[in-house]
Amino acid sequence: MKKLIFQGAIILLVFLSTWFCFTQINWVKIFHIQQITDETEKKLGDVLLEVVLKSEDEIKSPQVNNTIDSIVNHICIKNNIDREQVKIHVLQKDEINAFAMPNGHLIVYSGLIQNSENQEELTGVLCHEIAHIQLNHVMKKMLGEMGLSVLITLSSGNGSPVIIKEALKRLSSLTYERGLEKEADLKAVDYMIKANVNPTAFANFLYRQSLNDNESSKYLQWASSHPDSKDRSVYISEYIGNKAAINYISILNSKTWDNLKKELAR
Amino acid sequence: MINKTQFAYEPGEHEAESASHSYIMSLIAIIAGVPLPILNLIATLIFYLGNRKSTYFVRWHCTQALLSQLSLLFINSYGFWWTISIIFSDEKITNHYISYMVAIVIFNLIEFITTIYTASQVGKGKHVSWWFYGTLTNMICKSEK
Repeated sequence: MKKLIFQGAIILLVFLSTWFCFTQINWVKIFHIQQITDETEKKLGDVLLEVVLKSEDEIKSPQVNNTIDSIVNHICIKNNIDREQVKIHVLQKDEINAFAMPNGHLIVYSGLIQNSENQEELTGVLCHEIAHIQLNHVMKKMLGEMGLSVLITLSSGNGSPVIIKEALKRLSSLTYERGLEKEADLKAVDYMIKANVNPTAFANFLYRQSLNDNESSKYLQWASSHPDSKDRSVYISEYIGNKAAINYISILNSKTWDNLKKELAR
Repeated sequence: MINKTQFAYEPGEHEAESASHSYIMSLIAIIAGVPLPILNLIATLIFYLGNRKSTYFVRWHCTQALLSQLSLLFINSYGFWWTISIIFSDEKITNHYISYMVAIVIFNLIEFITTIYTASQVGKGKHVSWWFYGTLTNMICKSEK
């Protein structure tokens, strides 16, 4: 029996040693394997952000940015999310929209904030986009739609303006697969519950957007790029129903929330 | 790694041929089983079950052929599912992955060559015992006498 164990151990050792020795070779470089690395994502995010900021006005008001930061900080702390991974940019635009970009850039249009009936609705949308970032949906979707070589070209800064514009168009009206969308919705609910924020407001926001066919509907980019808002509000409500009731809080006091809206209206 | 020794008795021509077929079967199974590693084991197992009431020499070599497939089954299966996870999930191609695949190709090749050699020797009635698998076979497969 000892002989058998010894021989078996030798075979295992030889295999593991062979494997280990081969790992010393940089195969990825030798075979020129193209893949999305953290560095590619970072560069891609920076290139796209630069283009966005050239065409849209970023709101520099400390009051606006600090208020949005307060919401995002609270969500991140309560959910153990690295705050550095989420980079918020509030842009002056009437469109009711928010979208995540590579490297954790989260674009929020002022129209979304102004059209949120309360801070919980805005928190719900932010949580949804943070969930897309955390679950790596952005790169997954871009990779599927645009292809690896296009993304690598874009990240090198050599992409043609047409391709960059197309990439941004897809991002801002990014319709994720139904499965990914649902995953982000339910994750957003989890984030809200952990942060003691009432998630029902998120379901209400979606329901309201699905009914909205008045004048403001032309600005409803977020709801229209996320299809079946009504269905989503239903399954979100059902999901919330399964969670234990807790005492919800408001991250911002009502005065800060009102001031935020007033500041954006100016 | 392999050792030619004297068997407990001199096997007949028909016995040697049957015993040799167990290795041929495992060779075919390796080729067919590259995409789905479990096929290796199933094919050799079927051959083993068909010959388990045969003579000691045939049984012994069927057992060794079957056991030698086991370790390949594990390392090939791991490589197979690693590849599947790269194709269908977020898993990336890393140096570790490529190194593993190179290592299993080498080990499969060694097994392949050893099997061809063993099949030819056993077909001539010579007894070939492999490192580790031969020892294991001696523990499992006993002479009825």
